Amino acid sequence: MLKPKQMSRLLIAASRDQMAPIITELYRHNLFHIEEYVDAGAEGYEGFKIGSPLPGASEKSSDLIKIRAITNAIAVQADEVDAKKICPGLELRAKIERELPSLEQEVEDLTVRRSKLDTRVKEYEQKILELIPFTNVPVDMDLYHGYKRFTTFAGNISREVTISAPHEMYFSKGKEKNFIVVIAPTDKRSEVERTLLEAGFQSVAIPVESGSPHGRIDYYSGLITTLNGEIAEINKTLDAVRLKHREFLVACEEFLRAEVEQTEAPLRFATTKQTFVAEGWVPSDRVDAISDALVKVTGGKIFVTALPIDFEHDNVPVEYNNPSFAKPTQVLIDVFSRPRYSEIDPTLMVSIVFPIFFGLILGDVGYGLILLAMAFGLRKFLKGDEGRQLLDVLRNASISSIIFGLLYSEFLGFAIPGLKPVMFSRHLMAEAAEGEAVASHGPMIPELMVMSIWIGILHITLGRILGMINHARQDHGDHRTKAVMANFGWLAVMWGILIAIWSIAAIPLMPNLTGLPSVVSLVNIGGVIGAVLVIVGVLCIARDSMLEVVELPSIISHVLSYARIVAVGLSSVAIAMVVNFIAIGMIIEPQLENFTIFSILIILAGLVIFLLGHALNVALGILGGGLHSIRLHYVEFFTKFYKGGGVKYIPFGMKRRFTED
Amino acid sequence: MAAELVSAVDVGMTVEQIKASQMGMKALGAGIAVGLTGIGTGVAEMGIGSAAVGAVAENKDMFGLALLFTVIPETIVIFGLVVGLLLLFL
Repeated sequence: MLKPKQMSRLLIAASRDQMAPIITELYRHNLFHIEEYVDAGAEGYEGFKIGSPLPGASEKSSDLIKIRAITNAIAVQADEVDAKKICPGLELRAKIERELPSLEQEVEDLTVRRSKLDTRVKEYEQKILELIPFTNVPVDMDLYHGYKRFTTFAGNISREVTISAPHEMYFSKGKEKNFIVVIAPTDKRSEVERTLLEAGFQSVAIPVESGSPHGRIDYYSGLITTLNGEIAEINKTLDAVRLKHREFLVACEEFLRAEVEQTEAPLRFATTKQTFVAEGWVPSDRVDAISDALVKVTGGKIFVTALPIDFEHDNVPVEYNNPSFAKPTQVLIDVFSRPRYSEIDPTLMVSIVFPIFFGLILGDVGYGLILLAMAFGLRKFLKGDEGRQLLDVLRNASISSIIFGLLYSEFLGFAIPGLKPVMFSRHLMAEAAEGEAVASHGPMIPELMVMSIWIGILHITLGRILGMINHARQDHGDHRTKAVMANFGWLAVMWGILIAIWSIAAIPLMPNLTGLPSVVSLVNIGGVIGAVLVIVGVLCIARDSMLEVVELPSIISHVLSYARIVAVGLSSVAIAMVVNFIAIGMIIEPQLENFTIFSILIILAGLVIFLLGHALNVALGILGGGLHSIRLHYVEFFTKFYKGGGVKYIPFGMKRRFTED
Repeated sequence: MAAELVSAVDVGMTVEQIKASQMGMKALGAGIAVGLTGIGTGVAEMGIGSAAVGAVAENKDMFGLALLFTVIPETIVIFGLVVGLLLLFL
């Protein structure tokens, strides 16, 4: 928790004839993150070279490429196939040799035919496009060609022209451009051309056709329809191939990928003629297990040892180490950047605070239930790991939204009858109940604002404290003290400003320091303490870096930025209430009072508005609640302590879904 | 208040009317605050957004950073909203 999984650096050395069993064993364990060997004459690696692939690598790679070509052609994706059929490797290998060549031939034939037909369709469509302007001219296409003493001009022109030379002309006015055809004697050609060009003439190629333009277009359209029919036929066949073979194909792909990764692993090892050395990372608690397994599989002809970690130069891969409820949130941290090995992993904090922010923004029982249903319903369509994790994040957020909906007493923008808001009310259009002078649960905007500012102050304070811890852990010497003090300085400035404000003005829900003994006119002791804190803070910041002082206003903007929790939330409440008012108050209720036959139609329209409005608000709610909450983390929280940029832990191996070893 | 009363006498408005018109002015002010900051945010996000989409199209790993850059100017409209809400409800 709060720290990535502890890693150990493992060095494996053995003779080359043990390479294959060792690679298979490492692959099976799926734990060893290979540190790639770079031929750069590192200390202790003189005389080593990058290894060469195991035998059979090129055949397997070419098979894999064939499989991928087929899966691309018929659009099969591993995510859409249920992992149900587990094939043993040997059986699959035999099947690949037997069936792959014919399947490849079949798919290739079909796709080649399809692309040829596609090209022809495009050609005919082009011809039709060329013919369309000529449909306005009542002349057959063969009359445009074959003259010795006449020249034909055809093209677009900006206005009508008068040509002095003897000529035949067809002019058709169009919406955007006019089309003109002129036939004139060849010896007057330059004169005609000049006149036309002056009117903005742009020549169009005259298609070599015979018969009327309409007839030709119909002819080509007929051809295109036939070709499209053939293409549809081919697509149907490909679909059939896809349905029949997709389990086989994804299993093959997985099997061959595993084989290729194993045969190519030596490319990442350091080798000599007789021996090889592999370095990599393994979670510390699994070192013994993997060492024992390697010793066993090689019959003891291997040297495995854990090396000390050098934090200055080693790039330790990072694997999250979180309790299961925080795991889905890892996807949000990965979107930003994976933590470094020596850094605090903020996943746990985000997994708790993100749903709370979401709930504060979209606190509505109705919307919460809709989102919860979506989080479970979409599970059928999203099969990838990341998609699942996002849905889990959405599930947690929507549960929080329901809880806050009860606290705010909101259901699709209505107040829940009989339930008074426990938290500050957001009911914008609350009406006073009978016997009440003022609505008892009207909007409490100032309180909500101050609450969100408090959240900001606390969140940022937490971020700065984590920043102090991170710097204390990562930095050394003089810089360490300075960096920690700079973080303290930012905190001091923020709280100094706060204390100064409290000493001047009384704000609801915040400490009131205006009553403290005054020093000079408006300034009391609180103001003095605040000012001292600000000055000390600025000095601390400036000692670390003068340039940072320019950033001082960001303290105010970052704290105020948390007001979006209320602002975005209120906008969603407002939209919901407006939708309810339009649909029910303005459309449905008046109809129910004077009910006629037509009322049914109008009431239905009201219901449609109700549904559309709330659907829009749900979409906006996900965007508003999700994006703004995560943005508060990324921009306001993470910038205080989190750098990221850690290397992802990618163990050598594979989670098999369709095959077994 | 005295000045307002004087002006009320001048234009022949009652105190209630003046209060109502003050409420209207507040609402106008809130609307202007939100509207103009919204335009400001829009203008600022225009350039960032198009560059961000380009960057993501080239490299999908940029998504997180691109999103972050795109939403930075949103602070402006939030300030507008804060001012608007304070005007209306404080």
